[in-house]
Amino acid sequence: MNLKDCHNFNDFRTLAKKKLPSPIFHYIDGAADDEVTYKRNTLAFNDVDLVPNVLRGVENVDLSTTIFGKKLDLPFYCSPTALQRLFHYQGERAVGKAAQKFNTMFGVSSLATVSVEEISSLVNTPKLFQFYYHKDKGLNNAIVERVKAAKFDVMALTVDTITGGNRERDLRTGFTSPPKLTLSSLFSFATKPMWGINYVTRGKFELPHLQDHIKEGTSTATSIGNYFSTMLDQSMSWKDAENLCAKWGGHFALKGIMSVEDAKRAVDIGCSGIMVSNHGGRQLDGARSPFDQLAEIVDAVGDKIDVICEGGIQRGTHILKALSLGAKACAGGRLYLYALAAAGQAGVERALGQYRSELERDMKLMGCTKISELNRNNLKFRNV
Amino acid sequence: MNLNDCYNFSDFRKLAKKKLPAPIFHYIDGGSDDEETLKRNTDSFSKFDLVPNILASVGEPDLSTKVLGTKIDMPLFLSPVAMQRLFHHDGDKASARAAEKFGTFYSMSTMATSSIEEIANKAGGPKMFQIYIHKTQGLTENLIDRCKSSGFNAMCLTVDTIVAGNRERDHKWGFTTPPRLTLKSLMSFAMHPMWTMNYLTHEKFQLPNVSNFVKKSSSIAKGVMEYINEQYDPAMNWKDAEYCIKRWGGPFALKGVMSVEDAKRAVDIGASAIILSNHGGRQLDGSRSPFDQLPLIADEVGGKIEIILDGGIRRGTHVLKALSLGATACSFGKGFLFALGAGGQRGVESILQKMHDEIKRDMILMGCKSIKELNKSKVTLR
Ligand SMILES: Cc1cc2nc3c(=O)[nH]c(=O)nc-3n(C[C@H](O)[C@H](O)[C@H](O)COP(=O)(O)O)c2cc1C
Ligand SMILES: Cc1cc2nc3c(=O)[nH]c(=O)nc-3n(C[C@H](O)[C@H](O)[C@H](O)COP(=O)(O)O)c2cc1C
Repeated sequence: MNLKDCHNFNDFRTLAKKKLPSPIFHYIDGAADDEVTYKRNTLAFNDVDLVPNVLRGVENVDLSTTIFGKKLDLPFYCSPTALQRLFHYQGERAVGKAAQKFNTMFGVSSLATVSVEEISSLVNTPKLFQFYYHKDKGLNNAIVERVKAAKFDVMALTVDTITGGNRERDLRTGFTSPPKLTLSSLFSFATKPMWGINYVTRGKFELPHLQDHIKEGTSTATSIGNYFSTMLDQSMSWKDAENLCAKWGGHFALKGIMSVEDAKRAVDIGCSGIMVSNHGGRQLDGARSPFDQLAEIVDAVGDKIDVICEGGIQRGTHILKALSLGAKACAGGRLYLYALAAAGQAGVERALGQYRSELERDMKLMGCTKISELNRNNLKFRNV
Repeated sequence: MNLNDCYNFSDFRKLAKKKLPAPIFHYIDGGSDDEETLKRNTDSFSKFDLVPNILASVGEPDLSTKVLGTKIDMPLFLSPVAMQRLFHHDGDKASARAAEKFGTFYSMSTMATSSIEEIANKAGGPKMFQIYIHKTQGLTENLIDRCKSSGFNAMCLTVDTIVAGNRERDHKWGFTTPPRLTLKSLMSFAMHPMWTMNYLTHEKFQLPNVSNFVKKSSSIAKGVMEYINEQYDPAMNWKDAEYCIKRWGGPFALKGVMSVEDAKRAVDIGASAIILSNHGGRQLDGSRSPFDQLPLIADEVGGKIEIILDGGIRRGTHVLKALSLGATACSFGKGFLFALGAGGQRGVESILQKMHDEIKRDMILMGCKSIKELNKSKVTLR
């Protein structure tokens, strides 16, 4: 199997599984506890059906949308995800360049393995920086200044990782960052020599945003769960978020909002958007899926801020359904991560291209030529 | 396993799978994307249960109904399906003759492998032609006029295929028309020597309805999906549909209507029927199933236009449920196609016989003497 056999999300996932050492594959593929929320994130889309309109004359379809004051050519973007150079040696460089090619937004994690300065020099399309709120206030301030200087367009504060989720697959495989070679994982690394060679020869593994401040940014092996639990500030409050928003001074979003109450509060503290998200099912298992919760949130704040539906997206039709309910855009992690692991930049480009052609086709079949034409009349819930 | 062992849809499907090269089987069997809509089309029938009436002295129930200006002997007919010669070397001849025997509609696809004239000569039962609006000038008119002079009874315009669906099984198996032999598919053709023999020794594979206009359609390898994207006009609109209705001048249906708004518009432009359909789950995955949508449509336009339910029909009881909720008749594609692949004309006759017997038995069990007696009171939402 190779890249040209990948026609959808699952094909990329299969190829990624072949290419990655298993602790790394399961770090991407896994989620919290019993992974019930993770599964529901995608299944939720099946509880509602699309109802197309015909004979509308739909030769040309415009997929563009505007969020955070930026026009994107696609109504979805790449969510920030950590440690991308573990998945493919090109890491964030590959995802950033692919996103640029499709003129959509690129989300960069606090735990990125390429610096914001370098990304900024490589990618001139809209960029989002994902912020983790550390106990070390000096570190927080330093990051804000760097991201400002690197001219990022949006800052998103992640609010659903106040402590590490219980990712049981990582416990079993002994996943740490950088990878620690335990006896059980050693076998898996040994059976994927290409990954190992690239990892060792393509430059030292670093977390450039953290390394000057803490030992987790260096090559001492630590687990992600450990990072969340020991480095992040569990007393983070609405006041802190408000201060950060003011300090940043540009478009600011809260990532990981689920309740209507919190969505309203996000408006009050000056956010221009929220990501309705449960972190891809990786934090609180049993939490509601973003798509299930979307309508309530849109009803409450959709006219005041940009509501983004994040998580579980594997198809163009999933995006159409979320947009029909009132999301301004969608975002996802795994929808490009498996493709990154499968083939670097070429993989991510192929995946983004496939979602784009699915969206174009599906818009035509729905009888729509612009994203703004999608609304709740296009949908019927199965239980009514 | 042979035809005599086939009692239902699944059996015919199994036998067809044995007989057909894999790329061809999967072309019939597959849907778009994740095939969620394909599954839902059939699953949705379980949402409603039948509620029988007893002691109704039914005797011999009357299964006939009138649709598109023609009385048919059973409330189920054959949907239009492209390239039937790939499924059996007798192709459209087999299905048209089988339909004639059961006094019901055979429908011919624009992409049929027999010509309008040939089928008109060889089968005397009710016939419907399914048209697509082509980009090539004059082709649409040419087809309409030929159907008129060949005595077709009805026409339908397919409106859900302005762009090809994402049928991933076809990507995987390299399905093209005529079949392109890739290494993987070659194996499968080699393992089905009977099919390959018949395919090669019978008349040449063609799309005679469009071949004079579209050079690509006849002998070079060409994906169906590419054909659709090149030839079908995505700018097609309500004016075009109205134009076809006028030019045809007889009973006319829009195939692939799903929304209430569009159903009302179909009434306004003077269509005789709508075929409530998502193309058997082959186009927009995630779209609603026809049966789920039927009550809404029947409430809005029932009585003003005929409603034909198309998609997911596997059993006589499915037909009964659809008729109870307001459909005038039903049509099926895969239901008769697997039978065609399994045994040609005899296969199609066999599935039609079984569906006929099921509908009849179920009508008796429901206590209904005729199709007219089926209404909302006969079903309950679970
Ligand atoms: C491997 C992986 C790493 C992630 N790292 C981060 C991160 O560093 N910061 C963050 O806010 N979210 C992170 N996320 C969550 C994503 O931003 C996003 O919310 C999630 O992937 C959405 O679900 P999806 O994968 O089903 O699209 C990560 C997700 C994955 C799968
Ligand atoms: C192999 C195959 C080919 C088809 N070709 C056409 C076609 O050429 N034109 C058309 O309008 N519909 C076509 N259809 C759709 C059918 O007319 C019908 O809508 C569908 O099969 C109904 O769903 P069912 O298969 O579940 O009964 C095709 C369906 C199949 C399975």
